[in-house]
Amino acid sequence: MDNIEVTPNQDRELSVVGKPIPKLDAAQKAMGRAEYIQDIKLPGMLYGKILYSKFANANIVKIDTSKAKALAGVHAVLTGEDVPKKMKMGFIKDNPPIKKGRVSSFRDEVAAVAAISLDIAKKALDLIEIEYEELEGIFDPEKAMEKDSPLVHEHLKSNVLKMPWNIHYGDVEKAEKESAFVVEDKFTTTWVTHCCMGTSGAIALFDAADNLTIYSNTQIPSLAQKDFLESLKAMGLENKRARVIKPIIGGGFGSKLDTYAYEHIAILLAHKCKKPVKIMFDRVEEFNATSTRQPTVIYIKQGCDKNGRLTFRDMRMVLDNGAHTSWGATTPSVMLMPISSLYKVENVKYNAKCVYTNNTYSQAMRGYGNPQATFAIESSMDILAEKAGMDRIEFRKINKNQSGDETPQGLKITSCGLEECIDAVKEELKFDNNSEKGVGTGIASLIHVGGGARIYGSDGCGAILKMDDYGKVDIFTGGTDMGQGLDNITAQIVAEELGLLAEDINVVHSDTDVCPWDVGAHASRSTFVAGNAALGAAKKVKKKIQEFASKILDVPAKDIKFKDRNVFFPGDPEKSMPIGKLLRKAHFSPNGTMLMAENFYDPDNRNMGKDLKGNMSMTYSFGAHGVKVKVDEETGKVEVLEYVAAHDVGRAINPLLLEGQVYGGVVMGLGYALTEEVVHQNGKNMNANFRDYKLFTAKDAVKIKAPVIETIDKDGPFGAKGIGEPGCVPTAPAVANAIYDAVGVRIKDLPITPEKVLAALKEKKGD
Amino acid sequence: MKEFKYLSPESVEDAISLYGQHSETSKFVAGGTDVIVKLKEGWMEPDFLISLKKIKELSDLHKNEATKELSIGALVTHATLEKSLMIQNRYPIIYDAVSNIGSLQVRNVGTIGGNLINAVPSADGAVPMIALDGVALLHGPDGERSVEVKDLFIKPYVTVLKPGEILKKITIPPQEANTGSAYIKFGRRAAMELPLIGIGVLLTLDTDQKTCTKARIVLGVAAPTPMRAFEAEKSLVGQKINEEILVKAGQIAADESKVRDSVRGKAWHRKEMIKVHVRRMGLKCLDIIKKQS
Ligand SMILES: Cc1cc2nc3c(=O)[nH]c(=O)nc-3n(C[C@H](O)[C@H](O)[C@H](O)COP(=O)(O)OP(=O)(O)OC[C@H]3O[C@@H](n4cnc5c(N)ncnc54)[C@H](O)[C@@H]3O)c2cc1C
Repeated sequence: MDNIEVTPNQDRELSVVGKPIPKLDAAQKAMGRAEYIQDIKLPGMLYGKILYSKFANANIVKIDTSKAKALAGVHAVLTGEDVPKKMKMGFIKDNPPIKKGRVSSFRDEVAAVAAISLDIAKKALDLIEIEYEELEGIFDPEKAMEKDSPLVHEHLKSNVLKMPWNIHYGDVEKAEKESAFVVEDKFTTTWVTHCCMGTSGAIALFDAADNLTIYSNTQIPSLAQKDFLESLKAMGLENKRARVIKPIIGGGFGSKLDTYAYEHIAILLAHKCKKPVKIMFDRVEEFNATSTRQPTVIYIKQGCDKNGRLTFRDMRMVLDNGAHTSWGATTPSVMLMPISSLYKVENVKYNAKCVYTNNTYSQAMRGYGNPQATFAIESSMDILAEKAGMDRIEFRKINKNQSGDETPQGLKITSCGLEECIDAVKEELKFDNNSEKGVGTGIASLIHVGGGARIYGSDGCGAILKMDDYGKVDIFTGGTDMGQGLDNITAQIVAEELGLLAEDINVVHSDTDVCPWDVGAHASRSTFVAGNAALGAAKKVKKKIQEFASKILDVPAKDIKFKDRNVFFPGDPEKSMPIGKLLRKAHFSPNGTMLMAENFYDPDNRNMGKDLKGNMSMTYSFGAHGVKVKVDEETGKVEVLEYVAAHDVGRAINPLLLEGQVYGGVVMGLGYALTEEVVHQNGKNMNANFRDYKLFTAKDAVKIKAPVIETIDKDGPFGAKGIGEPGCVPTAPAVANAIYDAVGVRIKDLPITPEKVLAALKEKKGD
Repeated sequence: MKEFKYLSPESVEDAISLYGQHSETSKFVAGGTDVIVKLKEGWMEPDFLISLKKIKELSDLHKNEATKELSIGALVTHATLEKSLMIQNRYPIIYDAVSNIGSLQVRNVGTIGGNLINAVPSADGAVPMIALDGVALLHGPDGERSVEVKDLFIKPYVTVLKPGEILKKITIPPQEANTGSAYIKFGRRAAMELPLIGIGVLLTLDTDQKTCTKARIVLGVAAPTPMRAFEAEKSLVGQKINEEILVKAGQIAADESKVRDSVRGKAWHRKEMIKVHVRRMGLKCLDIIKKQS
């Protein structure tokens, strides 16, 4: 990479960045013209459908597909026997896309068909005869850890995954002895799911040379490509190409951060049938067969000295891994961040065990473990403040993170607006005058990665930029838009740098044949990493334009400025030219040139070492949420009256989209706090529909104030940091703290249902 | 979804006769908000779907000024009821119930008749019709007959309707002076919510505006069908109504109910909600009566 300077001039006047430009694809989506995977139909396309297990844990004794195969219109029927041995999913490759011999959860795939219509495919599934031998299941992760527990995977000899989540920074035992106040509690969180409005799906097809093209609702085109190439290799198709195209998708929220069985099954079916095969989930399947946020059992102990300074934090967790392993098992790596680094605390202990059960397996979901950890930490902060007799806001401010800190985990805090966020919440929400009965306020803070997150060898993103003869830009970015608005952010950054308008920038993304590599849309990293990648490319082109304009306008290159689609020399109004005209001159002349640039930006962050230390992000986002609730003491129902979510975002590249991220995050967080829960009984999903899965509706959503704190981060594009996930991180503890403030009961188990509140109130009253 | 033929007769007689031609494989449909879901899920596979929408008389909503009877056609939508000033002012219990059904879109097409005949224990519309002593007018191959709404339901998804019978309308007898009525759907969400428990109360007071002459306490989701809490009602009649008496009635109603634990909610909490809301709705009735005079 050339040595280009990424840090922008922070004082300069901005004309596109910082403006609330509506989403560039908003009209398209609102008018129904956006093409989702649901809309895509390829010539000769077949419809695939998956058959799932009837038991949470069972041996497959016999499987007879002859009737299904004989049904007119059926092109292929697959069982576990048809899956190549090495074709497995998940980062520890413990999950074949169709199971053979044994099923260990209700969502385990046992067969799949491809047929000329969806109806025929469904009928074919009904004709598959399977004989199971049901086995005792294990559904409680803590019980699954016991010595004599049945094993989910017998060959592993234990239900506990071999994961490294065990750290001790400083000396927790000593610190505990020296603490003036210590509190200890247990918190639990359950399964929730992303509820993407667009259900999951994929279309796979092969060309005559066995190269794969796959349309898929993925958040990770480049990493998915790697997974698919591995599947091709397992199928004996080595050195082939895999092109991943992600059409417009109706939401990701982490759900599409891994590849799923339906994608690999579509590949197998397409190869077998030599036709495109589409698998689309219906809503019930979306609930049953996509992965949830992982449930946790959390033990937390923390203490402070008599001045209210935190002395230690000691946390232990048990995570329900489900029957197979996906990214859910790695969320402790992110939980470690708030555990070690939310507020200043020197002595930290953390141990997490991921345990196999016969439940559904978990994945990434907005916040990646942070919401669970922060629920425990911030609830416990209030409990500790009360025990120490301190004001809960003062207590937080005493322990606040600050610029220049290096946390026990080795996180280097650069820009930090935590205190400003807390103050903004305090100002917006009147904390002290809750005289009304049943009304209370709560606050909780957050830290999250805001400058990428180095989980793989690279945390990079590529960008290719070309300009045409009319001053328009096409930028091919590795970054993926999944509705969050990366296309706007990219366009605004590039337009700002080149003196253009956002609408002059065409952002091309999510096609691995066309776009450079990127880790994926996760860890709130796209604005920071893909934004910097785009900015770097724009700077390169800008330099070339300046050099060319310098010759034409006869002024020094460095003095050429860009604005309103023109280049100009500030000193002389005569020396100005539309950029398009300049580009045409550059192009249509002897030894002509086209303006193009490529840039690969990989942040200077670090992988975690064996000691689980390392500055995993270039910078961190902070925030504080405050909420006022009213608790109906006779019913246990909690009503949210006011909500303030203040975030340190570095800079708001687009305040409108930023607020959208915060509003969406908060509403998702409120669902997590109050209503949402995938109810599992003995491994079976009991509420796989929107009637019984209580996602907030528009009518439930509350008015949210979203103060934006701009700390202008030195490494962010125009000073920006990530904001994708933070909005849903501290919501649940803020609500739990407000309920305690309102009626004096502390609910430690999510979601906080009317039943739990009322039961706690009754217990408190002694009836 | 299985294919079907869509028929839209313009009179009750035609609808009944069409049904008669294919009685085994026909299904009536009104707004379709229950029927379409079942078709899509494959729980219902008719060859003929007979729409009642074009039968004008079924959409009639009016109050007979002479008899003071309210007549609600089976095809009257929840939205029509919700927007009617007469309903809002004179039958608040209907307004309370229908204005919180599903969402605007569902209320725009869903009908009161469909809500009753679908016969789920959670039907919001059933509670006010029972509380108001509504009478269902049925018309079938054998002619017309009347059934009190409270006797319409046999078990979930099953009513006393015979094959080919159509619900034409619900008649609400004249309301006495000093009557107040109210309903609450207790649920977890503000919209798109089936009640965890539905509680409707109607009280009529004597001219002294204290003594109860008539009481109706009707519960949804408290049993396999919407139910009246007769014992609780009895405990109020003849009494001077105050908060204390309503608390007792709430307890009796809770004891009478046959609530169960389910994935959606626990029985103890449902009982508690009956107790609390019989009182609250009772007080709301008193409030309404006070405002009327
Ligand atoms: C998203 C959603 C939310 C909902 N929310 C609620 C809610 O909050 N509360 C609630 O109570 N319900 C709710 N429902 C259920 C439904 O909308 C109501 O029950 C509605 O009133 C049904 O009326 P319909 O006209 O759509 O009935 P249809 O679906 O047309 O018919 C329902 C049944 O009644 C029969 N039928 C209809 N009319 C007649 C007639 N005149 N004579 C004889 N038989 C007849 C049909 O054959 C069918 O068996 C919801 C439904 C959906 C899809």
